Order: sequence, then C-alpha cells, then structure tokens
Amino acid sequence: MHDVSKLYGFGDATTLALDEINLSVMEGEFIAVMGPSGSGKSTLMNIIGLLDRPTFGTYMLSNRSVAKLRPNQRARNRRDKIGFVFQSYNLLPNLTVIENVALPLVYKGMSTVRRLKLAGAMLERIGLEDRQYFMPRQLSGGQTQSVAIARALINNPTIIIADEPTGNLDSDSSLVIMELLSEIHAMGTTILLVTHNSELTRYATRVVFMSDGAIVHDEPTKLGEIAPNFRSIIYGLAIKTEEDDLAGVSALMKAIPGIKSQPAKRKNKAKWGKSKKLTRKQL
Amino acid sequence: MKLLTANNTKMAIHAVQQSHWRSLLTMLGVIIGIASVVTIVGLGEGIKHQIVGQINNLGNNLITVRPGSTQTNTTTGALSFLNVFAGLNDSDLLNIHDVQTIQQTPGVRTAVPMSIIAGPIQANKQIYDTIPVIGSTSDISAALNQTLQYGAFYSSNDNISDSAVLGQNVANELFPGISALGHSIKFHNINFVVLGVLNQFDIAPLSIDADFNNVIFIPYSTAQQIDPNGASLYEILVKPTSPSSTNSVKTKIQNNLLAAHHGEQNFSVFTQTDELAAANHILNLLTDLIGAIAAISLLVGGIGIMNVMLVAVTERTQEIGIRKALGATNRQIVNQFLTEAVVISTYGGVIGIIVSALINLGLRIVTNLQPTLSWQVILLATGVSVVVGIIFGITPAVKAARKDPIDALRYQ
Repeated sequence: MHDVSKLYGFGDATTLALDEINLSVMEGEFIAVMGPSGSGKSTLMNIIGLLDRPTFGTYMLSNRSVAKLRPNQRARNRRDKIGFVFQSYNLLPNLTVIENVALPLVYKGMSTVRRLKLAGAMLERIGLEDRQYFMPRQLSGGQTQSVAIARALINNPTIIIADEPTGNLDSDSSLVIMELLSEIHAMGTTILLVTHNSELTRYATRVVFMSDGAIVHDEPTKLGEIAPNFRSIIYGLAIKTEEDDLAGVSALMKAIPGIKSQPAKRKNKAKWGKSKKLTRKQL
Repeated sequence: MKLLTANNTKMAIHAVQQSHWRSLLTMLGVIIGIASVVTIVGLGEGIKHQIVGQINNLGNNLITVRPGSTQTNTTTGALSFLNVFAGLNDSDLLNIHDVQTIQQTPGVRTAVPMSIIAGPIQANKQIYDTIPVIGSTSDISAALNQTLQYGAFYSSNDNISDSAVLGQNVANELFPGISALGHSIKFHNINFVVLGVLNQFDIAPLSIDADFNNVIFIPYSTAQQIDPNGASLYEILVKPTSPSSTNSVKTKIQNNLLAAHHGEQNFSVFTQTDELAAANHILNLLTDLIGAIAAISLLVGGIGIMNVMLVAVTERTQEIGIRKALGATNRQIVNQFLTEAVVISTYGGVIGIIVSALINLGLRIVTNLQPTLSWQVILLATGVSVVVGIIFGITPAVKAARKDPIDALRYQ
C-alpha cells in the first residue's frame, strides 16, 4: 500500500480519512491495528478488504494492483482471498448457523451438499458442531462471533480482517475468540485485527498505531507480549482540553494492564472519541 | 448460476413463507389477475364445448328462423353478432304463412312453428306463472333430435288438441316424485293431458335456443285458438332433407322469406354453425373485457410486488452489505432479489390458478356451466406470473445490487 489516501465528501465538507498511508503486510503476519475512534482504522480495513477504493495511492494485493479491478472482480477477490469478522457479527438472522458459515460458498457455485459438508467440518474445527442448526439468535455472543470466524475461514482466505471482533464480548468470550484467531494465524493465515484493547496486542506479531488517518507508529512485537512502545505512544497523544486531560489521565491509568482492563478499554474509547473530534483534519 | 438460482429460490420460498400475510397481500393483484383470466378462458372453453355438444345433439343441420334482424355481419360478411332478443317483442313479424313458405322451399324436410303463449299454469292444485308454454307441431321432436323419456308426442293425426308434452324439469316440478303421464294441467281454462315427458336436453349456456327442459309443448293449433293474435311465432325450426344442403337451404329460405316479406329484412335465418360463431364472438368480447381487467390487475399486482421488493431492499440493506462483503457479485445480488420477486409472483399465479379451479368447481355445482381448466392455460398463467415477476422485480433487484457495500454494512 503506497501513499494511500481516502477522502470523503467534497468542497468544504471534505474529510481526510486516510492520509498517505504506506503499509506493507507480509503473508502470515498478525497485525493489531490500534488507534482512537475516527483515526481511520476501519477505512483502512475496508480498503484492504476491497470494500472501498482509495482516493489516491496504490494498493497491491498479492502483487497485483487492485485499482482497475471491476466490481465483480473485486467481489471475487473478496470471496477468495479475504475473510471478514465484524464487531456486530453480521450473521444473517434468517439462516441457520451452518447456512451462515456456508454462505460464501454459495457465491462460488458449490452444491448444497458439498458446502454444508465443508461448513459442518469448519464448525467442528471451532467446536460448535452441536450448534449447526441453531439460529444465530440462539447463540451467545462468543459463539456467534466464532460462527462469524468460521464463515470468514470457509473459503480458506489469505487474509482475515477482524474489525473489533471482541468489542461486544465479555473477557472470557474475548479470550476464546482471540485464541481462535491465534490458531488460525498459526496455520499461516494473515490476520489484521482492529482493536482498542492493548491486551490483545499479545496475540499480534506487529502493532500499527493510527491517529488522524495516518500511521503514527508501526512496530513488531513478540507473541504473548504487549507492544513495548505502546504506552509511550499513548502518552504521546495530544490532549486538547483540560477536560480531556483529566479524563485522559483517568483512562490511561485504567488502561495499564492489571488494573481492570475491560472498563479501561471503554474509557479509552470515550476519551479518544472526544480527541478525534478536536484533532481531525478538515480539508 | 444454476445452483445459485436453486439456492435463491429456496431462500425466497422461505422468505415468502415466513412473512405469509405480507406476501399474500403482495400477491393479491397477481392472484386476481390470473384467477380472472384462467376462469374466463376456462369458462369460454367450457361454453364452446357445450355449444358444440348441443349442436351435435340438435343436429348441425338445424336451421332457425327468428323475427327481426337479429344478426350483425362484419364487413367480410361473417356473422359477428346475434341479438337473440331482437324481434321477440315483434309478435307479428313471423306467422304460419312463413312456415308454409319455408315448407315449400326446395330441400326443406320440415318446418316447425314455435309460439310462446303467456299465462299461468295450474297443476296439482298449484299455480305456476313462470313456465313457458310453446305451441308447436308434432314435428318438433324430430326437429330437435330429441326422444321422449316416456309417453308419446301428440300427433297431428291424433286430433288431440288438449294434450301436452313436458320438458323434464317441468315434469319434475309439477309432478314431483310421480309420473306426469296422464295427469292434467290447466292452461287458459283448457285441461291438457300430459301425453309424454321429453328426455333431458343438453342446452348450452349462451345458446340462443330456449331451455326446452323447462317448457311445456302444446299443439300449435290449440295455441292458435288460445292466443287472440293467432299465436305469432318467436321462432321457426327447419330441417333440410339432407345435412349437406343446410347452407344452400338456408340461402333459399332467406330469399323466399325476403320475397314473402316484400323485400323487408325483418327476420333472420341462421344455422347452428352461425350460433357457434355468435357464441364465439360473445365469448371473445367477454375474454377481451376480462383480459383488460386482468391486465390492469396484473399491472397493479406487479407494482405491488415492485413496491414490496423496494421496501425489502431497504429493509435488508445490511444483509446486502454482508453478502457483498462475503463475495457476492452485483449479478448474484440481482439474481437473488429477482428470484424473490419471481417466486412471489409465481406463488400468486399458482394461487390464482387454484382460486380459478375452485370458482370453476363452484360454477359446475351451482350452474349448468361446465368450465374447463386445460394444462395449456395453466402453463400460460404460470408463464405470465413469471414474466410479471421479472418485469416488476428487476428494478428493486438492480437497486439492491448497486448498493455500496460500506454504506450497506453500516445501515441500521
């Protein structure tokens, strides 16, 4: 990805969502993308996931420029190379668990028997073989997200884009999901994880920190360890108001591992949300 | 694509079944349209079939002469319309002299006068006001190709002026549960003895002939005595000597009567084939009319489907986003929503056909109509439903496919 920028709106209402991003992702990496709300993480994931197009810059997927791909070619690339895991699960409520998992195979033109067989095997892999014919509403949050991961994996994608997959989950379920992603990563799949939770960087091999549409920090990490320079990055964030200052200190204290990590995440979100509004560049 | 369509069809059927009331209301226009078309076509086919059956029964060599100009011809000369009521009130347009004129026409075997005499009938100490009494000669039995269930027909040779022959329905009505033979009925202060009861006539709907199952035949000579106007004729039935000469005899009768009426065309001569053509014409008019109504109904139904599908596309925006994120192409999204529209429409068509079949069954039970339901009509109706689904489903489907995946995923 070279000098990728994304602009929304036009005229005075133009917003710069991504600002000349340069990013190379190697096969088999587990990248945790962090940053405050509005920093451009999701936009970056959407562009990487071929759901969106950059306004400027070059994006090469598997050494091929995707700029000139037609919508149907982009759809096929999404189908074959990329698996999405969303914060809100995004399972189809009127389909059973197994049908949801098998859905990407429908667009490959696979027969019903074959795709249900593959989906069944995938559910077995994630330990939900006894929930195959449940409806999504009958599952817990963690189980639902596991199903979403199974769906993302069904086409054997090279990249899994997980946009805050644990955002709606309790700590136990989060752990299960992260372990699952870790297993997938261990099998060689590239994972891009968007998260607000610094704890989750333990699973990553690289942490990318974004702010105001730009990558402000990019460092490799060791598996099982939190990114070493993460804290300094957070401390280095500009604090714009006195109110933010007070809220920020409180949030950062709670964000330190070992001091109630879960509420800390929410506080951080709140604080970052406020900062974003004040610091976002308007073109 | 085949597998995808099968999958989409399954999902669409599931969607229709899940929201069955909404789907039913959506289909209503298609149901009404298809039901009306299938019913009217079936009715038309049934009536045609019945008329052909009646012609076969009465004999296709029967020529009918009616007072008044009852027929309208197209520019090419083909019979386009028969006004069966024209001339019925013109009591003096046809009389016994015309019967004689016809009888003298070469090729005519027999000409039978038919005269309706008004008045109440008394039988079994009860009075009946609505049973038509027809004065006719004994040749009526041969002219109508009909035999008696029991008894005998009055004969001119018998010189029995106060005898009557009953249609089967009348016999059952006047003398329920007993044989009418030998009983008397009182008409215009004359006691008529029932000589015989006719077998059941197969009278087709839209036939211009009276339903002879519901009439009483009395000798024409007696009718002349009862009627102060000399029993004017509402119809003369003619049988040619040879069936093959029916058309030529018809022309001769036409010419002879025209001469007898001093060139005034105040009568009509037609054969059973003309009757079939006239019935066809009426049915075609009816079919056109119902077809127009059905077309409007299908249009409204189609718009209903389009409306519901547009709402569905909006409601399911996030689903569209998810499907696109999972790799669905625009074409596959179009296919999915188009399939749904076609399934709804086809469901409507199938329900319409079932409704039509039930209407047909009801008509068969309640009336003497015998509507039919052919597989060609069923196929056509199903095809029309599919086409309606495609025409009105394409816009919502394209709208769904054009949704931006990001916007669609964010839609709440």
